[in-house]
Amino acid sequence: MEDFYIPASAMSPEIDFRFSNNVLNIRGESYPENAAAFYGQILSQLALYLASAGSKKIEVNVALRYFNSSSTKILLRLFEMLNDAVSAGNDVTLNWYHDEEDDTILEFGEDLHSDYELLHFNPIAIPEA
Amino acid sequence: MKNRNNLMDLEGFSEFRDAAQKQGILFFYNGYFSQNIIAAMADAVRYRIGSQDAKGSTTRRVFSTFIEMAQNIIHYSAENLTDENAVDREMRFGTVTIGRQGDSYFVVCGNVVPEHAVPILAEKLDSIRGMSMDEIKAAYKETLRSESESSSKGAGLGLLTMARDSTQPIEYSFVNLPEKGNAFFYLKAII
Repeated sequence: MEDFYIPASAMSPEIDFRFSNNVLNIRGESYPENAAAFYGQILSQLALYLASAGSKKIEVNVALRYFNSSSTKILLRLFEMLNDAVSAGNDVTLNWYHDEEDDTILEFGEDLHSDYELLHFNPIAIPEA
Repeated sequence: MKNRNNLMDLEGFSEFRDAAQKQGILFFYNGYFSQNIIAAMADAVRYRIGSQDAKGSTTRRVFSTFIEMAQNIIHYSAENLTDENAVDREMRFGTVTIGRQGDSYFVVCGNVVPEHAVPILAEKLDSIRGMSMDEIKAAYKETLRSESESSSKGAGLGLLTMARDSTQPIEYSFVNLPEKGNAFFYLKAII
């Protein structure tokens, strides 16, 4: 499956899905006007990739500086899809980057992890820029 | 002092600026909101709050509240330049301000809403105002899991996000407008 890339904008993250290496990167800001529309194609690419994966070691890096309430719903869906991929026999590590002072993003990641506990959840604090 | 009642002369503008400063206003915008305008303001807001030596978590909460309020305006203000049913590239009218009083920050927004939305908003906001922080977090989680991605543009979760980021209950008021069928809606969050 071909790699999938969308460059960052002021309000939407860079999507760098290297399916060939089983590395998926999401980084930047996430407050698009319509998160469901922005992430629609991204989630469908991910679903295609996960459907073809069976016993892969997948690394997911999420480094979002900020995400708005409608992006939050998408992240929930993303965790769910990755968790299902573990049930299907894959091994998924989720590196969850957050600003060291930003407890909200850390707590959100931890909360979701308690719901989707098959993921290897790895919170990583980044020092203030 | 001529034309004071008609035009804003520089002395009048100076008074306006001083009054804003006395209120602790750090940022004020009154005009059309589009996604691109919000993105430009977002930079200004981050620098402005960041320069106040606020804690990183405070800056993030102020920023988050600002974005949720501004996106509510582009989705729900009754004064729109774009089609009523548009979900994208919307352009609607509203006001937003950010200020500081002592160690607290406030974010206030205002926009016109249709009268039929008033009781719905009031009920949602009263319910949130009556919640403890633990209840707000629980309601946030529940709403996050129950709202489908496609249904609402997200108002329920947006209001809960503001409440979660606030240190005091969010305040609101509705002001009747002379034009029939609409009301002016104000929302205030303290962080």
